Amino acid sequence: MVLEATMICIDNSEWMRNGDYSPTRFQAQADAVSLICGAKTQSNPENTVGILTMAGKGIRVLATPTSDLGKILSCMHGLEMGGEMNLAAGILIAQLALKHRQNKNQQQRIIVFAGSPIKHEKKALEIIGKKLKKNSVALDIVDFGEEEDGKPEKLEALLGSVNNNDTSHIVHVRPSQNALSDVLISTPVFTGDGEGGSSFAAAAAAAAAAGGSVSDFDFGVDPNIDPELALALRVSMEEERARQEAAAKRAAEEASGQEKGEEAQPQSDSQNATSTATEKVSDPMDEDDLLKQAVALSMNIPGSDSSAGDAQMSEATNDDQEFALALQMSMQDGSKDSSAPSDVSKVLGDQSFMSSILSSLPGVDPNDPNVKDLLASLPGQSESQQKKDEDEQPKDDK
Amino acid sequence: MACTHDHSCEDHDCSSNWSLYKHIDLSKVTALNEANPGSVKSVFKAWEERLNSSGEHLESNEGDPELLVYIPFTSDVKIKSISVVGGADGTSPSKLRVFINRDGIDFSDAQSMQPVQEWDLVENLQGVLEYQTRYSKFQSVANITLHFPESFGGDTTQIHYIGFKGEATQLKRDVVATIVYEITPNPSDHKTRAETGGLSHVE
Repeated sequence: MVLEATMICIDNSEWMRNGDYSPTRFQAQADAVSLICGAKTQSNPENTVGILTMAGKGIRVLATPTSDLGKILSCMHGLEMGGEMNLAAGILIAQLALKHRQNKNQQQRIIVFAGSPIKHEKKALEIIGKKLKKNSVALDIVDFGEEEDGKPEKLEALLGSVNNNDTSHIVHVRPSQNALSDVLISTPVFTGDGEGGSSFAAAAAAAAAAGGSVSDFDFGVDPNIDPELALALRVSMEEERARQEAAAKRAAEEASGQEKGEEAQPQSDSQNATSTATEKVSDPMDEDDLLKQAVALSMNIPGSDSSAGDAQMSEATNDDQEFALALQMSMQDGSKDSSAPSDVSKVLGDQSFMSSILSSLPGVDPNDPNVKDLLASLPGQSESQQKKDEDEQPKDDK
Repeated sequence: MACTHDHSCEDHDCSSNWSLYKHIDLSKVTALNEANPGSVKSVFKAWEERLNSSGEHLESNEGDPELLVYIPFTSDVKIKSISVVGGADGTSPSKLRVFINRDGIDFSDAQSMQPVQEWDLVENLQGVLEYQTRYSKFQSVANITLHFPESFGGDTTQIHYIGFKGEATQLKRDVVATIVYEITPNPSDHKTRAETGGLSHVE
């Protein structure tokens, strides 16, 4: 939420007619610019953005820094391509425009789209960079479009002389399936310094991806439609990975430690049950080991260690993305703001819930004694019920 | 005057004269061309600590000894004199130009504008020298900008301490911060002197 005045320098030279970024380089650039404007004004309502073009007849300032998004977007219409880009002059004029910003408390930033070959020498660019650094202006460079020998080096040199404490960034974008704006969304150009993905960026990513290109959301959930869910899924996946490593280490020690005979039997039964429950078994050996560890955890630490309980669930569902999704979604619905881990173990311990989950999985018969075994062994329900089920087992066993 | 007299300073409290640092709005102090962002705040301290260089100090970027320091005060102050302690080996600033009550000055402005006053500094490593101001021009200072254009030959400029001697008024130069607007007047707020105790009535 840093208060910032930004000047965006657009390249509208002849090189922008090329179609290697769809639909044309210029259009991709324009989309990226409008997304950046939106992101900046949304992250702090007092932010201002201005635009200037670097090619054409000369440097032209289309909009001085303003917070009026409509004005900025409208001045992007009807831009003509032509001429050669003048990077040095563009940056200097952007700096001048920022100098005369109305709110002197705003940090100054210039975003440059460098799509055509750069005719300046490295030395000249470094001098410009030093001047920007001296006046504490940050610079973001988007290197796209024309690939020329020495262009990345020149731009990196420019960045090096401007950069003060990592406030300036450079992004090299190669032509690909993804639109320029999609690539930029995940970069610091959009997200700012150390802020992490902004909600606008996630929403913009969704909107852009909805256009038909392959969306690479981690969970198949559109953050635009349900941002809370997407966030929860992402967070729990990360937690799961972290706990997995910790728990796997712990479980390995414990699994080797516990040697009880009667626990070996239900353990292998439940192991079979959960192995049949999880359909996609990429590597059976790893699956069984993981499950063994997972169940060992649940055996040894029934319900008390909530983090282990959480890990158990996550391990068991490691290879089954859909199962993980289903569990997380139902937990998300069930307990919004209560402390997740304790609820998770409670939910896992709820037999009716677990049986409904398992019944929804193809290939698992809830009346299978093995499955009943697994359910009975779950923590959360009282120990007496567990014993009762174990007593009933010999009767139910066919 | 400066403590160059040969008795020790316990007789009169020199430090109380240099107490304007308490009226500096430290959160809004900025500097241009500083090597470590934020290090400028470390140069404003008590008189006794002016030679204490164990903490941070303000240093300009490598190869460029120019520095610009913007200092806003929490209330209007009158500045009688300024003291600057620089660094050793030619890293002390050699000139000082000040601008009053202008914000948003950058290097090109500073170089082209006429300063309110400028001084040629000498190396003041003991912090005993002070530079007097033309007091009439420094009567109500809400913010001051110090421009150090060059050093004594060093690659960078280092500043360990900046002190201001003067007095603080209770006035603030800019817009009133809290204004209470009345939608409907409350008669009890508008009792005239003659009527306290009786029925109040709004004129």
